[in-house]
Amino acid sequence: MAETKRPREPFAPWDRRALPGLFDVEETAKRVGHYKWVELKLFEALGGWVATVPELDVKLRLGTHCYHHAWHAELFDKRLPELREMKTDRLTVAANDHMVAFIDAMTEPEGPDMTIEKLVGVYRVLIPHKIAAYTYHRNGTSEITDMPTVRILDFILQDEFNDWREGEMLIQSMIESDEEIDRAMVHQTKLEKLMLAAGGIAGPGSIGDPYIDLPEEN
Amino acid sequence: MRKIFPAEELARDARFIRQTNEQRLGDPRGARVAGGNSGDRLAKLTPELANGPDRARALMHGIFVGEIQALEGAGRTCWDFEVGEDVPLALKLDMARQCWDEARHCEISVSLAEHMGTELGEFAENGLLYEAACNPDPVLRLTGVNRALEGLAIDVFNTMKEFGNLAGDPVLEFCEDWMLADEVTHVKMGSDWLRRLTENDKERLDKALEFQKIVDRLFSFNGFRGEDDDSPIQLTRRFRELAGFSDDEIDEIADMSRDARVEAAS
Repeated sequence: MAETKRPREPFAPWDRRALPGLFDVEETAKRVGHYKWVELKLFEALGGWVATVPELDVKLRLGTHCYHHAWHAELFDKRLPELREMKTDRLTVAANDHMVAFIDAMTEPEGPDMTIEKLVGVYRVLIPHKIAAYTYHRNGTSEITDMPTVRILDFILQDEFNDWREGEMLIQSMIESDEEIDRAMVHQTKLEKLMLAAGGIAGPGSIGDPYIDLPEEN
Repeated sequence: MRKIFPAEELARDARFIRQTNEQRLGDPRGARVAGGNSGDRLAKLTPELANGPDRARALMHGIFVGEIQALEGAGRTCWDFEVGEDVPLALKLDMARQCWDEARHCEISVSLAEHMGTELGEFAENGLLYEAACNPDPVLRLTGVNRALEGLAIDVFNTMKEFGNLAGDPVLEFCEDWMLADEVTHVKMGSDWLRRLTENDKERLDKALEFQKIVDRLFSFNGFRGEDDDSPIQLTRRFRELAGFSDDEIDEIADMSRDARVEAAS
């Protein structure tokens, strides 16, 4: 017969999760609101672009990815009230004006001959920055107190990596000349500068700060 | 990127041929799709018809281009309206979900078209479906697209599913049944949003239902979709009920089809 009264630790020996995390409830809600805003803007743009791209495979991928990011927005929207933000619209905002400028510039291309620019903005600039910010958050928050956010971010990151890979392969398949490389790079540089000014999708500190402040020498 | 993207600018590669609705109806191959709208006798779409397989091929091509436009229309609804000001977030989430579904339907229908021996661009495309998705009022847009056009898709997919069954084509039957399930979901979305967004706005409800009738009438030409035994596309009561249509509404579509048939004969 099994010994039912024999004590065990609350955490198994291999479970190394720790209590402290980088973000308190308020900061987490603020970041989640910024993430939701970005996902919202992204799925709207992908949906809008479907009608404007002539390449059939790109058209169908944009339609598919549109839903992925809408689902992410929904997950973040549902998380906000759990973080004491009952009026979810209040925190569904851009991190700053530079982030608004970034989205405006990213969604500007419309012509049927601008598929490269559309794809570069999403798959070479925005999604890599999302992956960075989400990974920082996922790795930095408490895996005990904030596990619901971690679980959401894990699902979302899986989508982001898959979508990034598909998008990057579409870009590579569309670039056939030096001129097209230049177009892609010019647009990427323009958007990267705007993202730099924004400080990342959640503003300055989106992926933390790796630098150490040294005491001033006398 | 602009709000409200015009139908004539829908982006396509060189294989696609765009026609107006009038041109399409005058195309003798297109006529077979509708089952006789250029003077041919109406007949239910079955493999036994002399031109049944050709009609089915043409119809599958029509489904494919219709799915592209449905994808584009749902995508534009995600972009054209602002959350809060124009529509609730949940409506846009539904439309994004529909984008994914329609993208899969494009993949399914282009594969089925190939399976049936049809080349992309073999038949013409017109922009009628997408035009309904350009209505600036989101309620009218959803009613026209999700109730009228997706409702038509229920009838078409059920007819094609039966065609697959009669033809002994399990691939066709299997795929059509899956698409049919999605279409019921889309029509139900339309019915639910129509009810929720017009709960306290009778005038808007009436306008939306009137717009739905206009779209339904456009796709009832010559009685091509109806309940008569020889209607090429059979009106599907059971699935429409699941999707939120009342008996009266279904009766009205059936009557509309009969009227269109009488009008065409006179």
